[in-house]
Amino acid sequence: MAEARAESLAVNDWGGGVHPYRVGHRKLGMWLFIMSDTLTFAALLVAYSYARAASVNWPTPFPLYPSIAFSTTMTLVLLSSSLTMVFAVAASKQGKRGTARKWILATMVLGLTFIVLHLFEWKHLMDEGLAPFELPAKWLTEKAWPGASPLFGSTFFGITGLHMFHVLTGVIYLGVVAARIKKLNDDVEVAGLYWHFVDLVWMFVFPLIYLLSVDYHGVIKALE
Amino acid sequence: MVESKAKEIKFWNLVLLGLSALSILAAVLTVASDRFKAGTDDVFLVLVCLMLALLFAVPPLMWAHANGMLKNPFADESSVEGAALEAAHGEHGGSNRDNIIVWGALLALTALEVFLAYIQINVTLMLIILMGASIIKAALIVAYFMHLKFERLSLILTIVPTIVVLLCLFSILFPDSFRLHNMRPVEPPVVHQPEHEG
Repeated sequence: MAEARAESLAVNDWGGGVHPYRVGHRKLGMWLFIMSDTLTFAALLVAYSYARAASVNWPTPFPLYPSIAFSTTMTLVLLSSSLTMVFAVAASKQGKRGTARKWILATMVLGLTFIVLHLFEWKHLMDEGLAPFELPAKWLTEKAWPGASPLFGSTFFGITGLHMFHVLTGVIYLGVVAARIKKLNDDVEVAGLYWHFVDLVWMFVFPLIYLLSVDYHGVIKALE
Repeated sequence: MVESKAKEIKFWNLVLLGLSALSILAAVLTVASDRFKAGTDDVFLVLVCLMLALLFAVPPLMWAHANGMLKNPFADESSVEGAALEAAHGEHGGSNRDNIIVWGALLALTALEVFLAYIQINVTLMLIILMGASIIKAALIVAYFMHLKFERLSLILTIVPTIVVLLCLFSILFPDSFRLHNMRPVEPPVVHQPEHEG
Protein backbone atom coordinates (compact mmCIF):
# COMPACT_ATOMS: atom_id res chain seq x y z
CA MET A 1 0.00 0.00 0.00
CA ALA A 2 2.73 2.42 0.99
CA GLU A 3 4.69 1.47 -2.08
CA ALA A 4 1.69 1.95 -4.30
CA ARG A 5 1.19 5.41 -2.86
CA ALA A 6 4.83 6.38 -3.40
CA GLU A 7 4.47 5.15 -6.96
CA SER A 8 1.38 7.26 -7.62
CA LEU A 9 3.09 10.31 -6.14
CA ALA A 10 6.15 9.84 -8.32
CA VAL A 11 4.07 9.70 -11.49
CA ASN A 12 2.47 13.04 -10.75
CA ASP A 13 4.81 15.89 -11.68
CA TRP A 14 3.81 18.07 -8.77
CA GLY A 15 3.15 15.37 -6.22
CA GLY A 16 6.51 15.32 -4.49
CA GLY A 17 7.41 11.74 -3.61
CA VAL A 18 10.84 10.43 -2.72
CA HIS A 19 12.65 12.30 -5.51
CA PRO A 20 10.57 15.44 -6.03
CA TYR A 21 12.91 16.88 -8.66
CA ARG A 22 14.37 13.67 -10.02
CA VAL A 23 17.92 15.08 -10.00
CA GLY A 24 20.95 14.17 -7.93
CA HIS A 25 21.89 16.12 -4.84
CA ARG A 26 24.89 17.74 -6.54
CA LYS A 27 22.81 19.04 -9.38
CA LEU A 28 20.09 20.34 -7.07
CA GLY A 29 22.73 22.04 -4.93
CA MET A 30 24.25 23.68 -8.00
CA TRP A 31 20.83 24.94 -9.11
CA LEU A 32 20.24 26.45 -5.67
CA PHE A 33 23.67 28.10 -5.78
CA ILE A 34 22.91 29.46 -9.25
CA MET A 35 19.64 30.94 -7.98
CA SER A 36 21.41 32.76 -5.16
CA ASP A 37 24.22 33.89 -7.44
CA THR A 38 21.64 35.23 -9.91
CA LEU A 39 20.39 37.47 -7.14
CA THR A 40 23.93 38.64 -6.31
CA PHE A 41 24.57 39.73 -9.88
CA ALA A 42 21.06 41.14 -10.25
CA ALA A 43 21.62 43.28 -7.14
CA LEU A 44 24.87 44.63 -8.61
CA LEU A 45 23.33 45.34 -12.01
CA VAL A 46 20.27 47.01 -10.50
CA ALA A 47 22.54 49.13 -8.28
CA TYR A 48 24.59 50.07 -11.34
CA SER A 49 21.50 51.04 -13.34
CA TYR A 50 20.13 52.98 -10.38
CA ALA A 51 23.38 54.91 -9.88
CA ARG A 52 23.57 55.63 -13.59
CA ALA A 53 19.97 56.84 -13.94
CA ALA A 54 20.25 58.97 -10.80
CA SER A 55 23.52 60.63 -11.84
CA VAL A 56 23.75 64.00 -13.52
CA ASN A 57 26.31 62.71 -15.97
CA TRP A 58 27.72 59.31 -16.68
CA PRO A 59 30.86 58.62 -18.72
CA THR A 60 30.42 56.70 -21.98
CA PRO A 61 34.08 55.97 -22.61
CA PHE A 62 34.08 52.89 -24.86
CA PRO A 63 34.99 53.67 -28.48
CA LEU A 64 33.82 51.16 -31.11
CA TYR A 65 37.46 50.39 -31.64
CA PRO A 66 39.20 49.03 -29.61
CA SER A 67 36.87 48.68 -26.58
CA ILE A 68 33.66 47.41 -28.21
CA ALA A 69 35.56 45.24 -30.71
CA PHE A 70 37.47 43.78 -27.77
CA SER A 71 34.44 43.08 -25.63
CA THR A 72 32.55 41.59 -28.60
CA THR A 73 35.44 39.20 -29.13
CA MET A 74 35.28 38.31 -25.44
CA THR A 75 31.55 37.58 -25.82
CA LEU A 76 32.24 35.29 -28.79
CA VAL A 77 34.95 33.48 -26.82
CA LEU A 78 32.67 32.94 -23.84
CA LEU A 79 29.73 31.76 -26.00
CA SER A 80 32.01 29.32 -27.79
CA SER A 81 33.32 28.04 -24.46
CA SER A 82 29.72 27.22 -23.55
CA LEU A 83 29.42 25.15 -26.72
CA THR A 84 32.61 23.20 -25.97
CA MET A 85 31.26 22.60 -22.45
CA VAL A 86 28.02 21.22 -23.93
CA PHE A 87 30.13 18.80 -25.99
CA ALA A 88 32.07 17.81 -22.86
CA VAL A 89 28.85 17.02 -21.00
CA ALA A 90 27.47 15.05 -23.98
CA ALA A 91 30.70 13.04 -24.25
CA SER A 92 30.76 12.30 -20.54
CA LYS A 93 27.15 11.10 -20.65
CA GLN A 94 28.09 8.64 -23.38
CA GLY A 95 30.89 7.40 -21.16
CA LYS A 96 33.67 8.79 -23.38
CA ARG A 97 35.76 10.24 -20.58
CA GLY A 98 38.85 10.97 -22.70
CA THR A 99 36.82 13.00 -25.20
CA ALA A 100 35.05 14.78 -22.33
CA ARG A 101 38.41 15.73 -20.85
CA LYS A 102 39.58 17.19 -24.17
CA TRP A 103 36.45 19.33 -24.49
CA ILE A 104 36.83 20.49 -20.88
CA LEU A 105 40.42 21.53 -21.62
CA ALA A 106 39.19 23.46 -24.67
CA THR A 107 36.65 25.20 -22.42
CA MET A 108 39.38 26.11 -19.94
CA VAL A 109 41.57 27.56 -22.72
CA LEU A 110 38.67 29.71 -23.93
CA GLY A 111 37.95 30.81 -20.35
CA LEU A 112 41.56 31.84 -19.84
CA THR A 113 41.49 33.69 -23.18
CA PHE A 114 38.50 35.62 -21.89
CA ILE A 115 40.34 36.56 -18.69
CA VAL A 116 43.47 37.68 -20.57
CA LEU A 117 41.45 39.82 -22.99
CA HIS A 118 39.55 41.33 -20.11
CA LEU A 119 42.74 42.17 -18.21
CA PHE A 120 44.03 43.98 -21.31
CA GLU A 121 40.84 46.01 -21.27
CA TRP A 122 41.25 46.76 -17.56
CA LYS A 123 44.89 47.78 -18.00
CA HIS A 124 43.91 50.12 -20.82
CA LEU A 125 41.37 51.88 -18.57
CA MET A 126 43.71 51.98 -15.58
CA ASP A 127 46.39 53.59 -17.75
CA GLU A 128 43.88 56.30 -18.55
CA GLY A 129 43.66 56.93 -14.81
CA LEU A 130 40.40 55.15 -13.97
CA ALA A 131 40.25 53.81 -10.41
CA PRO A 132 37.38 52.25 -8.42
CA PHE A 133 36.45 55.57 -6.80
CA GLU A 134 38.01 58.08 -9.12
CA LEU A 135 37.56 59.18 -12.71
CA PRO A 136 40.51 60.36 -14.80
CA ALA A 137 40.78 64.14 -14.38
CA LYS A 138 40.49 64.78 -18.11
CA TRP A 139 37.17 62.90 -18.23
CA LEU A 140 35.65 65.60 -16.04
CA THR A 141 36.60 68.51 -18.31
CA GLU A 142 34.04 70.44 -20.34
CA LYS A 143 34.90 68.54 -23.53
CA ALA A 144 34.10 65.18 -21.91
CA TRP A 145 31.62 64.45 -19.10
CA PRO A 146 31.55 67.32 -16.58
CA GLY A 147 30.09 66.41 -13.21
CA ALA A 148 30.18 62.69 -14.03
CA SER A 149 29.73 60.30 -11.13
CA PRO A 150 32.88 58.58 -9.80
CA LEU A 151 30.62 55.56 -9.24
CA PHE A 152 31.42 54.66 -12.84
CA GLY A 153 34.72 53.16 -11.72
CA SER A 154 33.33 51.24 -8.76
CA THR A 155 30.43 49.75 -10.73
CA PHE A 156 32.64 48.90 -13.70
CA PHE A 157 35.40 47.23 -11.69
CA GLY A 158 32.95 45.72 -9.21
CA ILE A 159 30.69 44.03 -11.74
CA THR A 160 33.27 42.98 -14.31
CA GLY A 161 35.67 42.04 -11.50
CA LEU A 162 33.17 39.75 -9.79
CA HIS A 163 32.35 38.20 -13.15
CA MET A 164 36.03 37.68 -13.93
CA PHE A 165 36.45 36.06 -10.52
CA HIS A 166 33.62 33.68 -11.43
CA VAL A 167 35.34 32.80 -14.70
CA LEU A 168 38.62 32.19 -12.87
CA THR A 169 36.87 30.00 -10.29
CA GLY A 170 35.18 28.15 -13.13
CA VAL A 171 38.50 27.46 -14.85
CA ILE A 172 39.93 26.04 -11.60
CA TYR A 173 36.75 24.01 -11.00
CA LEU A 174 36.94 22.58 -14.54
CA GLY A 175 40.63 21.82 -14.02
CA VAL A 176 39.82 19.74 -10.94
CA VAL A 177 36.98 17.96 -12.77
CA ALA A 178 39.24 17.24 -15.77
CA ALA A 179 42.01 15.89 -13.53
CA ARG A 180 39.72 13.57 -11.59
CA ILE A 181 37.36 12.68 -14.44
CA LYS A 182 37.89 8.91 -14.08
CA LYS A 183 36.55 8.95 -10.52
CA LEU A 184 33.56 11.21 -11.10
CA ASN A 185 30.03 10.62 -12.27
CA ASP A 186 27.73 13.59 -12.79
CA ASP A 187 30.31 16.23 -11.90
CA VAL A 188 30.95 17.18 -15.53
CA GLU A 189 27.29 18.03 -15.95
CA VAL A 190 27.19 20.02 -12.69
CA ALA A 191 30.36 21.92 -13.62
CA GLY A 192 28.71 22.60 -16.98
CA LEU A 193 25.74 24.20 -15.21
CA TYR A 194 28.11 26.55 -13.41
CA TRP A 195 30.00 27.41 -16.58
CA HIS A 196 26.84 28.19 -18.56
CA PHE A 197 25.64 30.39 -15.73
CA VAL A 198 28.85 32.45 -15.89
CA ASP A 199 28.24 32.78 -19.64
CA LEU A 200 24.63 33.82 -18.99
CA VAL A 201 25.68 36.59 -16.60
CA TRP A 202 27.99 38.03 -19.24
CA MET A 203 25.00 38.22 -21.61
CA PHE A 204 23.65 40.94 -19.29
CA VAL A 205 26.95 42.57 -18.28
CA PHE A 206 28.10 43.06 -21.88
CA PRO A 207 25.10 45.09 -23.13
CA LEU A 208 24.54 47.01 -19.89
CA ILE A 209 28.15 47.99 -19.23
CA TYR A 210 29.64 48.15 -22.71
CA LEU A 211 27.00 48.58 -25.42
CA LEU A 212 25.18 51.33 -23.51
CA SER A 213 28.40 53.28 -22.95
CA VAL A 214 29.66 53.65 -26.50
CA ASP A 215 31.74 56.76 -27.11
CA TYR A 216 30.01 57.96 -30.30
CA HIS A 217 31.52 61.43 -30.35
CA GLY A 218 35.15 60.38 -30.21
CA VAL A 219 35.62 62.05 -26.81
CA ILE A 220 38.35 59.68 -25.67
CA LYS A 221 40.28 60.21 -28.88
CA ALA A 222 39.90 63.99 -28.65
CA LEU A 223 41.25 63.95 -25.10
CA GLU A 224 44.51 62.32 -26.08
CA MET B 1 -4.82 8.55 6.06
CA VAL B 2 -5.11 9.04 2.33
CA GLU B 3 -8.29 10.99 2.95
CA SER B 4 -6.66 13.36 5.44
CA LYS B 5 -3.89 13.92 2.92
CA ALA B 6 -6.45 14.82 0.27
CA LYS B 7 -8.08 17.22 2.70
CA GLU B 8 -4.76 18.84 3.44
CA ILE B 9 -4.01 19.30 -0.26
CA LYS B 10 -7.45 20.80 -0.80
CA PHE B 11 -6.93 23.21 2.10
CA TRP B 12 -3.56 24.49 0.86
CA ASN B 13 -4.82 24.79 -2.69
CA LEU B 14 -7.67 26.95 -1.45
CA VAL B 15 -5.28 29.11 0.61
CA LEU B 16 -3.03 29.60 -2.42
CA LEU B 17 -5.98 30.40 -4.66
CA GLY B 18 -7.06 32.96 -2.06
CA LEU B 19 -3.61 34.58 -2.06
CA SER B 20 -3.65 34.58 -5.83
CA ALA B 21 -7.08 36.28 -5.84
CA LEU B 22 -5.81 38.86 -3.32
CA SER B 23 -2.88 39.67 -5.59
CA ILE B 24 -5.21 40.14 -8.55
CA LEU B 25 -7.42 42.33 -6.34
CA ALA B 26 -4.39 44.45 -5.43
CA ALA B 27 -3.64 44.91 -9.13
CA VAL B 28 -7.26 45.87 -9.87
CA LEU B 29 -7.37 48.32 -6.96
CA THR B 30 -4.14 49.94 -8.19
CA VAL B 31 -5.64 50.45 -11.63
CA ALA B 32 -8.96 51.68 -10.21
CA SER B 33 -7.44 54.17 -7.76
CA ASP B 34 -7.40 57.89 -8.50
CA ARG B 35 -3.64 58.08 -8.34
CA PHE B 36 -3.18 55.66 -11.24
CA LYS B 37 -1.41 57.51 -14.03
CA ALA B 38 -0.05 54.52 -15.99
CA GLY B 39 3.47 55.76 -15.27
CA THR B 40 6.48 53.53 -14.70
CA ASP B 41 5.64 52.95 -11.04
CA ASP B 42 1.98 52.08 -11.62
CA VAL B 43 2.61 49.69 -14.48
CA PHE B 44 5.41 48.10 -12.53
CA LEU B 45 3.29 47.58 -9.43
CA VAL B 46 0.47 46.05 -11.47
CA LEU B 47 2.90 43.70 -13.20
CA VAL B 48 4.40 42.58 -9.89
CA CYS B 49 0.91 41.93 -8.46
CA LEU B 50 -0.10 39.88 -11.50
CA MET B 51 3.13 37.92 -11.37
CA LEU B 52 2.64 37.14 -7.70
CA ALA B 53 -0.89 35.99 -8.54
CA LEU B 54 0.52 33.62 -11.14
CA LEU B 55 3.14 32.34 -8.72
CA PHE B 56 0.53 31.56 -6.07
CA ALA B 57 -1.68 29.92 -8.66
CA VAL B 58 0.98 27.47 -9.87
CA PRO B 59 0.39 24.66 -7.31
CA PRO B 60 -3.44 24.67 -7.59
CA LEU B 61 -3.22 24.77 -11.39
CA MET B 62 -0.75 21.89 -11.34
CA TRP B 63 -3.04 19.97 -9.05
CA ALA B 64 -5.98 20.57 -11.35
CA HIS B 65 -3.90 19.52 -14.32
CA ALA B 66 -2.79 16.33 -12.58
CA ASN B 67 -6.41 15.46 -11.78
CA GLY B 68 -7.52 15.92 -15.37
CA MET B 69 -9.58 19.04 -14.75
CA LEU B 70 -7.32 21.20 -16.85
CA LYS B 71 -5.93 20.34 -20.24
CA ASN B 72 -2.70 21.94 -21.36
CA PRO B 73 -3.73 24.05 -24.37
CA PHE B 74 -0.16 24.10 -25.70
CA ALA B 75 0.37 20.35 -25.60
CA ASP B 76 0.87 18.83 -29.03
CA GLU B 77 0.13 15.24 -29.92
CA SER B 78 3.67 14.49 -30.99
CA SER B 79 5.10 15.24 -27.55
CA VAL B 80 3.93 11.91 -26.16
CA GLU B 81 5.64 10.10 -28.98
CA GLY B 82 8.75 12.23 -28.50
CA ALA B 83 8.87 11.46 -24.80
CA ALA B 84 8.61 7.77 -25.54
CA LEU B 85 11.43 8.06 -28.07
CA GLU B 86 13.59 9.92 -25.58
CA ALA B 87 12.92 7.34 -22.91
CA ALA B 88 13.87 4.59 -25.34
CA HIS B 89 17.03 6.43 -26.25
CA GLY B 90 18.14 6.22 -22.65
CA GLU B 91 19.18 9.86 -22.32
CA HIS B 92 17.23 13.05 -22.45
CA GLY B 93 18.12 16.39 -23.90
CA GLY B 94 18.95 18.06 -27.17
CA SER B 95 21.36 16.64 -29.68
CA ASN B 96 24.67 18.28 -30.55
CA ARG B 97 23.04 19.60 -33.70
CA ASP B 98 20.38 21.41 -31.61
CA ASN B 99 23.07 22.89 -29.41
CA ILE B 100 25.03 24.18 -32.40
CA ILE B 101 21.85 25.81 -33.71
CA VAL B 102 21.28 27.44 -30.30
CA TRP B 103 24.89 28.65 -30.32
CA GLY B 104 24.32 30.15 -33.77
CA ALA B 105 21.18 31.92 -32.52
CA LEU B 106 23.12 33.33 -29.56
CA LEU B 107 25.83 34.62 -31.90
CA ALA B 108 23.21 36.16 -34.18
CA LEU B 109 21.54 37.98 -31.27
CA THR B 110 24.93 39.25 -30.11
CA ALA B 111 25.65 40.47 -33.64
CA LEU B 112 22.29 42.27 -33.64
CA GLU B 113 23.13 43.98 -30.34
CA VAL B 114 26.54 45.12 -31.54
CA PHE B 115 25.03 46.30 -34.84
CA LEU B 116 22.50 48.44 -32.91
CA ALA B 117 25.34 49.91 -30.89
CA TYR B 118 27.16 50.63 -34.15
CA ILE B 119 24.33 52.51 -35.89
CA GLN B 120 23.56 54.50 -32.70
CA ILE B 121 19.85 54.64 -31.93
CA ASN B 122 17.85 56.34 -29.19
CA VAL B 123 19.11 55.22 -25.76
CA THR B 124 15.71 54.19 -24.33
CA LEU B 125 14.82 52.15 -27.41
CA MET B 126 18.33 50.68 -27.34
CA LEU B 127 17.95 49.68 -23.69
CA ILE B 128 14.60 47.98 -24.34
CA ILE B 129 15.90 46.03 -27.36
CA LEU B 130 19.12 45.07 -25.57
CA MET B 131 17.29 43.80 -22.50
CA GLY B 132 14.81 41.91 -24.68
CA ALA B 133 17.61 40.26 -26.64
CA SER B 134 19.49 39.46 -23.41
CA ILE B 135 16.45 37.82 -21.87
CA ILE B 136 15.96 35.69 -25.01
CA LYS B 137 19.64 34.73 -24.87
CA ALA B 138 19.40 33.87 -21.18
CA ALA B 139 16.32 31.75 -21.83
CA LEU B 140 18.10 29.88 -24.65
CA ILE B 141 21.13 29.20 -22.45
CA VAL B 142 19.04 28.03 -19.51
CA ALA B 143 16.70 25.89 -21.62
CA TYR B 144 19.23 24.15 -23.87
CA PHE B 145 22.77 24.53 -22.52
CA MET B 146 21.72 24.17 -18.89
CA HIS B 147 19.24 21.50 -19.91
CA LEU B 148 16.36 22.90 -17.88
CA LYS B 149 13.90 22.27 -20.72
CA PHE B 150 14.49 18.56 -20.33
CA GLU B 151 14.21 18.44 -16.54
CA ARG B 152 11.18 17.44 -14.53
CA LEU B 153 8.44 20.07 -14.54
CA SER B 154 8.56 20.42 -10.76
CA LEU B 155 12.20 21.60 -10.93
CA ILE B 156 11.40 24.11 -13.68
CA LEU B 157 8.43 25.47 -11.72
CA THR B 158 10.54 25.76 -8.59
CA ILE B 159 13.34 27.72 -10.23
CA VAL B 160 11.95 29.92 -12.97
CA PRO B 161 8.91 31.70 -11.42
CA THR B 162 10.81 32.27 -8.15
CA ILE B 163 13.72 33.94 -9.90
CA VAL B 164 11.48 36.04 -12.15
CA VAL B 165 9.40 37.36 -9.25
CA LEU B 166 12.47 38.01 -7.10
CA LEU B 167 14.15 39.94 -9.92
CA CYS B 168 11.01 42.06 -10.31
CA LEU B 169 10.94 42.73 -6.58
CA PHE B 170 14.61 43.75 -6.78
CA SER B 171 13.87 46.52 -9.21
CA ILE B 172 10.73 47.73 -7.45
CA LEU B 173 12.55 50.82 -6.16
CA PHE B 174 14.20 51.48 -9.49
CA PRO B 175 11.82 54.27 -10.69
CA ASP B 176 13.08 56.32 -7.71
CA SER B 177 16.38 56.82 -9.50
CA PHE B 178 14.70 59.13 -12.05
CA ARG B 179 13.19 61.27 -9.30
CA LEU B 180 16.47 61.41 -7.39
CA HIS B 181 18.00 63.06 -10.42
CA ASN B 182 15.56 65.97 -10.16
CA MET B 183 15.72 66.23 -6.40
CA ARG B 184 19.46 66.71 -6.17
CA PRO B 185 20.68 69.66 -8.22
CA VAL B 186 24.45 69.98 -8.66
CA GLU B 187 24.35 73.69 -9.38
CA PRO B 188 22.58 76.14 -7.09
CA PRO B 189 18.97 76.43 -8.25
CA VAL B 190 18.34 79.35 -10.57
CA VAL B 191 15.92 81.81 -9.02
CA HIS B 192 13.67 83.38 -11.64
CA GLN B 193 13.31 87.11 -11.18
CA PRO B 194 9.82 88.42 -11.74
CA GLU B 195 9.78 90.19 -15.08
CA HIS B 196 9.35 93.93 -15.15
CA GLU B 197 6.16 95.08 -16.71
CA GLY B 198 5.91 97.75 -19.33
